[in-house]
Amino acid sequence: MGDGNIHSGNITSSFNSYFYKAGEDAEVMRWLSPLEPNNRHQGVRADRFDGVGNWILQTKEFREWRSREGGADEAVLFCSGNPGVGKTYLR
Amino acid sequence: MARDISSLVIDSLCDQEGKVDSAVVGLYCDFLIQQEQTVTNIMGTILKQLVGRGDIPKYLREAFQEAKKNFGGRGPRLPELMEMLRKAIASLPQVFICLDALDECLPKHLPDLLGSLRDIVRESPKTRIFLTGRPHVTGDIQRYFAMAIVIPISPNMDDIRSYLEMRLGRDSEPEAMNDDLRADILRVILERTSDM
Repeated sequence: MGDGNIHSGNITSSFNSYFYKAGEDAEVMRWLSPLEPNNRHQGVRADRFDGVGNWILQTKEFREWRSREGGADEAVLFCSGNPGVGKTYLR
Repeated sequence: MARDISSLVIDSLCDQEGKVDSAVVGLYCDFLIQQEQTVTNIMGTILKQLVGRGDIPKYLREAFQEAKKNFGGRGPRLPELMEMLRKAIASLPQVFICLDALDECLPKHLPDLLGSLRDIVRESPKTRIFLTGRPHVTGDIQRYFAMAIVIPISPNMDDIRSYLEMRLGRDSEPEAMNDDLRADILRVILERTSDM
């Protein structure tokens, strides 16, 4: 903790935005899937408050998972919890 | 909370994205639109995010044009998407796939979804997968990924303290607040929370 939310600046990433496409390119994108997760991410991160969950990023498990290059066996990191835990609970 | 964690992890991975040229893609599952969140659509949106970073690859354009010819256009099929995903992932140094609230998918979709993710990892072992969900899906995940790393999210005192400090900082009557009262409020709430 203590570093506050260092990730709240503008970021460009494939999660948040893909390049604008027009014409047939836009059609191809729509054809692939009707789901648009980017807007949802913006909403969730706007509601997030500073500091919460930062401890996850500091855990050995997260750091190892993130940096491990090979190893299909340990490709998955699962954070298990009830939605009522934490923020929602306190409201 | 889990949703906050997902957005935090996604942002954290995106921050490193620029440095190591990895791609971060994924989806927030939502029971409100679970009918639409089929495995095909989820894999489709992952591919969409991967290829959306640059020019549309030739194999994708050809698949689209081929599909358009049939019955006025059919949607992509799962095996076809998986093959295109394999190519898209192979063209990138590393891909992170983040799926939030796995338990909000329709239960009948979960085996196919996890099976598809396992296929991706087998083809592209460098791919990292970040999942969140209620504890009851742990068994499902471990059936497909026996070595999955599990981090339980429980009420964390640091998180609760951060939240309380934020709320106290936004007090609408700051003149009624002082350091002693603030310390008392934090102490009492944190004590009671730790008893839960």
